[in-house]
Order: sequence, then structure tokens, then C-alpha cells
Amino acid sequence: MNTLPLVTAIELYLTLGIAVFLLSLHGLMTLHDPIRRLIAVNLMGAGTFLVMVSLARRSEVPDPVLHALVVTGLVVAISATAFALRLIIAATKADRRGGKPEP
Amino acid sequence: MSPELLPDLTLILLLLIMAWGALYAPQRSDAMTLFIAFGVVVALIWARLDAPDLALAEAAIGAGLTGVLLMHAARALPDELHRRNRTATYWGALAFAVVATLMFLAHLLTDDSLLNAGLLDGETDMTPRLRSLADATMGDSGVEHPVTAVLLNFRAWDTLLELLVLLFALSGLRQLFPRESAPDDHATSRWPESLALMAAWARVLAPLLVVTGGYLLWRGSSAPGGAFQAGSLLAAAAVMLRLTGLLPPLRWSSVWLRLAVVAGALFFLTVAAITGIWGEGWLTYPAAYSGLLIISIEIFATLSIAITLSLLVIGEWEDLRS
Amino acid sequence: MNLALLSLAIPLFSGLLLLLGGRALRTRTTGFIAIASTLASLIAAWLALQEVAAAGTTLLLNLGGWETGLAIRLRLSSLSALLLLFTALMHLLIGLYAGLSRAGINRDFWALSCFLHGSLAALWLSADLFNLYITLELLGLTAVAMVALSGSKAYRPAANYLILSLAASLFYLLGVALLYGRYGELDVLLLAPRTEADVITRLALLLMTTGLMLKAALWPLHLWLPPAHASAPTAVSALLSGLVVKGPLFILWVLWSEVAPPTLAQQIGPVLAIAGMIALTAGGLSAMRSPHIKTLVAYSTVAQLGYALMALGLLLTWQLPQMHIALWLFVIAHGLAKASLFLAAGEMQASLGTRRVDGLRGATQTVPVAMFAFAVAGGSLIGLPPSGGFLAKWVLLEPLLSQPQNWPWAIGVLLGTLVSAAYIFRVVALSFDRARINPPDINPDRVGHWLALLPALMVWGMALSGEWLIQLLAGGGV
Repeated sequence: MNTLPLVTAIELYLTLGIAVFLLSLHGLMTLHDPIRRLIAVNLMGAGTFLVMVSLARRSEVPDPVLHALVVTGLVVAISATAFALRLIIAATKADRRGGKPEP
Repeated sequence: MSPELLPDLTLILLLLIMAWGALYAPQRSDAMTLFIAFGVVVALIWARLDAPDLALAEAAIGAGLTGVLLMHAARALPDELHRRNRTATYWGALAFAVVATLMFLAHLLTDDSLLNAGLLDGETDMTPRLRSLADATMGDSGVEHPVTAVLLNFRAWDTLLELLVLLFALSGLRQLFPRESAPDDHATSRWPESLALMAAWARVLAPLLVVTGGYLLWRGSSAPGGAFQAGSLLAAAAVMLRLTGLLPPLRWSSVWLRLAVVAGALFFLTVAAITGIWGEGWLTYPAAYSGLLIISIEIFATLSIAITLSLLVIGEWEDLRS
Repeated sequence: MNLALLSLAIPLFSGLLLLLGGRALRTRTTGFIAIASTLASLIAAWLALQEVAAAGTTLLLNLGGWETGLAIRLRLSSLSALLLLFTALMHLLIGLYAGLSRAGINRDFWALSCFLHGSLAALWLSADLFNLYITLELLGLTAVAMVALSGSKAYRPAANYLILSLAASLFYLLGVALLYGRYGELDVLLLAPRTEADVITRLALLLMTTGLMLKAALWPLHLWLPPAHASAPTAVSALLSGLVVKGPLFILWVLWSEVAPPTLAQQIGPVLAIAGMIALTAGGLSAMRSPHIKTLVAYSTVAQLGYALMALGLLLTWQLPQMHIALWLFVIAHGLAKASLFLAAGEMQASLGTRRVDGLRGATQTVPVAMFAFAVAGGSLIGLPPSGGFLAKWVLLEPLLSQPQNWPWAIGVLLGTLVSAAYIFRVVALSFDRARINPPDINPDRVGHWLALLPALMVWGMALSGEWLIQLLAGGGV
């Protein structure tokens, strides 16, 4: 694993991160279903973390600061996602009870 | 392109396909499943990029707990109004992402600033200044594992606030279960009777998870691990036990539960206040006790993280009502 | 510095203890503890302000005692001390209303309010880009939780707000990641001299700005705000419009006035200023056309943030750091006035039993105190002298009127004033229509109405302390 050619692989992963971010951003803007939009937001997060971890790998021994930041980001993401998902479910049920059309 | 890149290219392609599917698959349940699989592949990528702490956390949180959350959502909202997303949107997404990505890649290949950046004046080592300071000071941190040192010592304030993030999310979730509402309002969110096989499996797996979690917590001082990884494993155990009915509802009305939820942040904040008012400074651990303080904070934090995450993922009306 | 940290820690501790206490504490006790902690925090903030004013310079603290660059740094300038004070004051005024008015509030409000207070304090004090990201998340989650207090009708706008808020945070985080990747620093003060105007920096700043503009509901990324603020409980709407959207604005200002290289700042300045002008007019027009009272007030927030955006944009275009005085005077004046506006609107809605603006006919007869509060607060929003709003507008207009080439901007400001006057007068004129009065459903709650008036009186009193405020903001700076 430590023999991966540092420069080229990192560039690939950095680009992957940006690609996932952009793809999911477009998804966020065009999709209607709130759950898919939440998935899109999570994917944006994954893209961001990919960028951060690739940047961490620029040096032979990975950067612990960036790793720590990503751990923090992961926990923030799950907390917010859990709350958001439950909120969406509650909102959809409330809309159904009220007879409103879903988005 | 050297053959060593083949695993990376495979992972990258896999990830892109899954991301696409998670967003645009026609059936919502397919999208959710692909998203969970996406989490697993991301954990693999973390391992590939030499980030074991992250791989542990991602597997437990990103793939595991998020998976349970989504499955629950799929159950609670069985039908989705089928919306025909026009094909133009798909191709639009592809074109937009590809063009922008290629632009970024082109920039990376022509301009070294991001890849070789953060150089200390005159040095060629690719080490950001902040990072080099961290390396130099690691010995004084009280723990040997760099990531734990950063999380619990150098940037402890971030971690304290992060514990509050968990707490605030739970507070928010509790608003969805007002006292006035009846159990029937939340009827469809009840968990089904589980298969006997799953219950048996849960009985074997849960203690293993608890032991592994404890091990990861203790190990975090010297090797990959720590409060968050341990907490999420424990949460996974709790979720599994709750799903199979082996664990009774955790009642918010019980002061012990509330204490467990609040303990991590409260302890951490108390340490901060005490060091600030009577010590050398806010969150400045006394040198002799830093290792001990860090592990104590981590123990309380693990407890809070485990309970809060469990409640966030599977907390229902019986658990959370005011 | 300890005093400022105390001002931050007291609400957090109270919130945690209230959560721990749960139903064991009676509702009155919960409210009492929350308000007492807000008062204690206010005193600590006031003392911290004295400390900074006496010191004459910005105070810095390396958390954990580690060396600069490694540790997260907290920064106490006269501005941050003032913002701490302002936050505590707003929480106190709104808390008193929530506790003492007849309508009351859900008991969960108190813990969340303490948490909001703590999150904002953490934001004002932070000088580390990633730490600011976490404070943004804290702010967003608490805000959504408070919107959800309204019950099921608020779930849909709250869910929408949360999704967009999360996306915005990620934009910001990606920008921070790129800046760290490029420069190797997270500390604002260390990053500031090192930034250059290259592609990565531009991209990072653009990403961060987009995220922050969305969170601060700055035109054109403001569409989530009216539904969310209108469906929240009255006290929560006041906190949201008065305080929550100002946090991301603060970060935006720090980002562009300190971190960004001056060349890039000068390029984005006009863009922000023009967006501000459009916000003023578009937001004002929407407010004029809005049929519901609270939505009108919410659109007024969108419009008023246009002033802040203009002040920021012009500050960057002309590289006049002193224009930040106008920016922050606006923030404080708007916060107080908007709190009063929302509280008054809530009281009138409750008494008259209507959510529509038409239902305010004859309000000067049926609910005079609340209507008076609305009018007085509205006067500050329009910028009538000698209110706080007028003070802020005057500080903004002075450089605009001094040179002929700046007059187009001045015209924009005056246009905004006209539009604000239009929607305020729309309501006030209706309320004077005593021919066809809308009779009240229930007797007006005297206490609630007077408490709604209190912030409006304070914003008019701002002019009395105007000289001191300006000196404080000018001398301290950042």
C-alpha cells in the first residue's frame, strides 16, 4: 500500500472528491424528493472528506490534523443527517395528514 | 499509468457509479442501498489512503448507522410519488460534473500549488506548517497516537463543540415527539418483530461489539481508535439489541439516561472551566495529568456518543417523549 | 479573556443542566434558570467589554496553551465583546417575553435558547476557520430545532432549511479544506498575510462565500428564510431574524476583510454591494405584497440584510475598514428592531386571531401598544432619526454622499429606504383604519405587548449612546 506512486494517485483522489461533490450538488439542485436531496448532501460531504484525506496523504506519514478534522466532520454529518431524516419523515406524515401534496 | 494504480482506479470508478446510482436510481430503495454500499467503498478508500481511524469511523457510522437510518426511512415512507426526472437532467448532471472535474484536474496537473503547498520557507518537505508544529509537539500531548492528540488536546475545543453538535441534534429530534402526541401518531414507525435468527445473532454480536468498542477506546491513546470509533460501535450494538427487542426502550424520563447523554459534554466543559479559572488557561491540561485527563474525557465522551447516536438512529416515541 | 469565556460557558452549562433536569424541573423554574443565566452572561459580557476597552487592543488566547498556529485561537476585540453583549441582551429581552407573556412557550425552548446563545458566543470569539465551521453547524442545528417547536406545520420549512443549511456548511468546509491544502494554516490571523490571488484561493473563497451567503439569507440565496421564520414560534422568529443570520455574516466579513487578498476583495466588493441593493428592493417589494403578517416581517429581514451586504461590499471595494462601523451598527439596530417587530406581530396575531395583514384594521384602537411597538420598530428599519437605524444609515451614507461618483450607491440606499417605508406604512395605515375595525378575539395581553415594545425603545435609545458605540467600533476594529 505504501508503494502507491504518491503524486498521481493523490491527484486522482482529489479529482474524485471534487467530481462527487459536483455530481451531488447538481443532484441537490434538481431532485425533488427530500430524501434523495439528503443523500445528495451526504455525498457532497463524502466528496469534501475525500479531498481532505487526499490532501492528508501528500506526505509520507499522513497529516493527523486533517484526519482529526474529517473524524469531526463525519460525526457532525451523521448527527445532522439523523435529525434531518427524521424531520423529513415527520414533515411528510404531517403533509399527508393535512392532505397537502408532497414535494 | 502504472499498474499500481489499478486498485485505485477500480475504487474510483466504483464510487462514481454508486454516487450516480444513489442520486438517480429510479426506485428510492435502490438509491438508498447504493448509498450504503457507497459508504462501504469510501471506508475502503480511507484504508487505501492510510487513514485507519477514518476507515473505522466510516464503516461504523457512514455505512452502518446511516444504513439503519435509511432503512427505517424506507419503511416509514413506503410509497414515493414517482417523478419522471427528464433525461436532460441526467445528461446535464454528467456534462456539468465532467467538465468541471476536468477543469480541476487540468489545474492540478499544471499548477503545483495545491499538491506541494504549505511549504515551510525554503524546505521541500510537503508538510503544512500547522502539521509540522503538531509533529514537534506530539511528545507533550500525553498520548502517542497523533490523531487522538490533535482531537483531544491540540484542538480539544473543536471536539467539545462536536459533542454539543450531537446533543443539539438529539434535542432537535426530541421536538418531533411532543408530549401531546399519542402513540398512534407514530404507529408506523414501530419496529417489526424480528426473525429469531437475528435475535440469536444479536446475542452473540452485541457483547463482541461492546468488548471491541472498549478495546478501541483504550487503544486510542497509542494506535488508531478513540472515543468516536468506540462510541459508534457501542451505538451499533445498542441499535441491534433494540431492533431485536432485547433492549427495552431507553426512556428520556429517566434521569440516568439524560445524565449519560449529557455526561460527555458536561465533563469536558467542566474540565475546560476548571483549567480556565484555576489552572493555567482554558483547556490547558496540567502536564503531569494530560494523559489521564484525556482518557477520562474520552470515557465520558464514548458513553455520551454511544447513547446519543443510538437515540438519533432508533429513538422512538417511547424513548424520546418529553 | 476569562470573562468572555464565562459569558460563553454560562449559557452552555445552563442548557446542559436544564436538559439534565428535564421534567423534574417545573416550567417556571426552567424559564427562571434560563433567564438568570442570560443575565449572568450579560454581566460577564459587559465586564469583558470594559476589559477590552481598557486594554485598548484585541485580546488573543491560545486554547490549550499550545503555540500559535497549532492551537485554536480565540479573539476578543471590542466588536466581539459588543456582539457578546448584544447576543445576551437579545436573549434576555426575548426570554422575558417568552416567559412572561400570556402565550408562553414550550418548555423545550429554554434549553435550546441557552444552546443558541452559547453557539453564537463561540462563533463571535473564534479565530480558526475549522472551529468556525463547527460553530456554524451548532447554530444551524439549534435554529432548526427551534423552528420545529411550532409543531407539525413547521416541519416542512424546517426540513428544507436544514438540508440547505447542511449543503451550505459543506461548501464552506470544502473551501476551508482547499485553503488548508494551499497554505497549511487554519488560523485566520496567520492566514491573512499569506494569501495570494491564485486559482485555488479564488475557488476556496467562492465556495465559502456561497455557503455563508446561503446561511445568512443574502440575496439571491434567501428563499428558505421567509417560510422558516414565519412558521416558527414568535420568540423563535425574533431570535432567528435578529441573531442567527448575523453569525454567518460575521464570518463572511472576517473572510473578506482579513483572509482574502485585497485584490480579490476589491473584485467581489461591487458584486456584493449590488446584491445588497437588489436585496433591498426585491425583499421590500415582496414584503409589500405579502398577505401574511409574519411573512411580511420575514421578507423585511431579507431586505434589511441588503444594507449589511452593501456596507460590506463597499467596504471591500474601497478598502475602507472603517465602514465596518456601519455594518455592525446595522446589525445591532436591525436585531433589536426586528425582535420588536416579530414580538409585536405575534402579539397582534394572537389577540386579533388573524395571520393576515388585512386583519390589522383598526389595530391602533384594539391593540394600541403592540401597534405602537410595530411602528416604532418600523421607524428604525426605515431609518428615521434619531433611531439606531438612522445612525447606521448615516454612517453608511456619509462616504457615499461625499463624492459625486458614489452618488449612485447613495441613490440605491435611499431607494431601499423608500421601499422599507412603503411596507411599514402599509401596515400602519391599515391599523389607523378605524372605520372597519377587526375586533379582537381575546383581551390583549398587556405584559406581552409592553415587552414587545421594549426592544423598539432600546433601538431608539441607541442614538443616545451612538457616539460611544461608534468610538468603540472605530477604535477597537478587529
